[in-house]
Amino acid sequence: MNHHVLVPLGLALLTGFLVPWLVVRARWAQQVPRLALAVWAACGAGFAAAAALLPAQLVLSGESSHRLADMLFTFRPPTPGQILHLDGRERFAFSLSLLVLSLPAAAFVRRLTRARRVRARHAGVLRLVGRYDPALRATVLDDDRPAVYCLPGRSRRVVVSSGAVHTLTPAQLAAALAHERAHIAGRHHLLVAAAEAFAAVFPRLPLARHGGSAVPLLLEMAADDRALRRCTRDALATALYALASGRAPRSAFAAGGPSAALRMRRILTPYSAGHPVLRGLLTIAAAALAMAPLIVACCSFPQ
Amino acid sequence: MRRLGELEAEIMDRLWAWQRPATVREIVDDINRGRRVAYTTVMTVADILHRKGWLRREKSGRAWLYETVRSREEYTAGLMRDALGDSQDRPAALLRFVEVISDEDMAALDAALRAARGDQLPHPGDGAGA
Repeated sequence: MNHHVLVPLGLALLTGFLVPWLVVRARWAQQVPRLALAVWAACGAGFAAAAALLPAQLVLSGESSHRLADMLFTFRPPTPGQILHLDGRERFAFSLSLLVLSLPAAAFVRRLTRARRVRARHAGVLRLVGRYDPALRATVLDDDRPAVYCLPGRSRRVVVSSGAVHTLTPAQLAAALAHERAHIAGRHHLLVAAAEAFAAVFPRLPLARHGGSAVPLLLEMAADDRALRRCTRDALATALYALASGRAPRSAFAAGGPSAALRMRRILTPYSAGHPVLRGLLTIAAAALAMAPLIVACCSFPQ
Repeated sequence: MRRLGELEAEIMDRLWAWQRPATVREIVDDINRGRRVAYTTVMTVADILHRKGWLRREKSGRAWLYETVRSREEYTAGLMRDALGDSQDRPAALLRFVEVISDEDMAALDAALRAARGDQLPHPGDGAGA
């Protein structure tokens, strides 16, 4: 154990506790969802790195820990030769780091493969049961209940029920389809899976807890924003309302899923895009967060 | 592969429409009204559908009689269960336009929409929007 522990410890506190606490309370997050998503992603990556370094620095002797810190700050990864010639304690620390990193990574991959399996099965049935409508550029499913959704990833497609086609006006339908295409284009399923994986591996961590509920909603808002480039606010808002109210039964788990009411309010009350200076500052803040490992590290670097 | 998938859909479409067992010959003859397709190709694809569990078959004389295992509506209902998020175990498989929504949220949506329109139109609440 040595003073280099302070670096990952500080980073873990910053990305795992402080920044999530701030972002969840921030008003700007829902106004610039993509920036907020970048902050969440940076926090996730930063925390994973810190969590991997922490046990290693606890185990290592002063000298090897100093070398490890050196490597990190100069971005000089160890050569295979160096890895082969690690002494016992270093090897232990190295495997400890890998073990910690593998937990969220494995959960992420597991979720992705499971989701891919579900989607492949769904797409297989859809291929025979649905019919592709070239005008809508979507697959239509014969059912009176209105629904619009998409299959992201490898078997990507947008699906609408015939109920939705009948319920919505052409403008509303176009708005809903644009929203779904934004999900596919932005590969939003990856971030959802990452947030879910984090929430499963670190259930009590503020980053995972807040992120798990904030990220899906922010993704919906980002897709709304992108759809609004191609449709009117009224079309998107009324499409949201029509699809929400056409659903039966409104089952009990109200807490599940991003809040449609929040999205609606946001679509209908256009906010001024914020002062350019403010947006610039926020961008810098997000970038600084991504650089946090470096900054924190340099400050505690022995002279 | 893509053509194979299309042929699968064509075969299923016919059997669902006819709502009775049919031989490969009948299916081939019907498809051939629109485009040329080889008997053996249809036979192979029907066999694939049988192995995938979409069709069941029984011998009738020297030919197989094929029949759909489930109706189109039953498959559609399964897809809609996924689409509407009725099943609780949800990995990040589908991304829906609207998630399951509570009554309070619905009331809030209604209020937001009315406020935005200056309440000028009476809202029937039938979800038809405008």
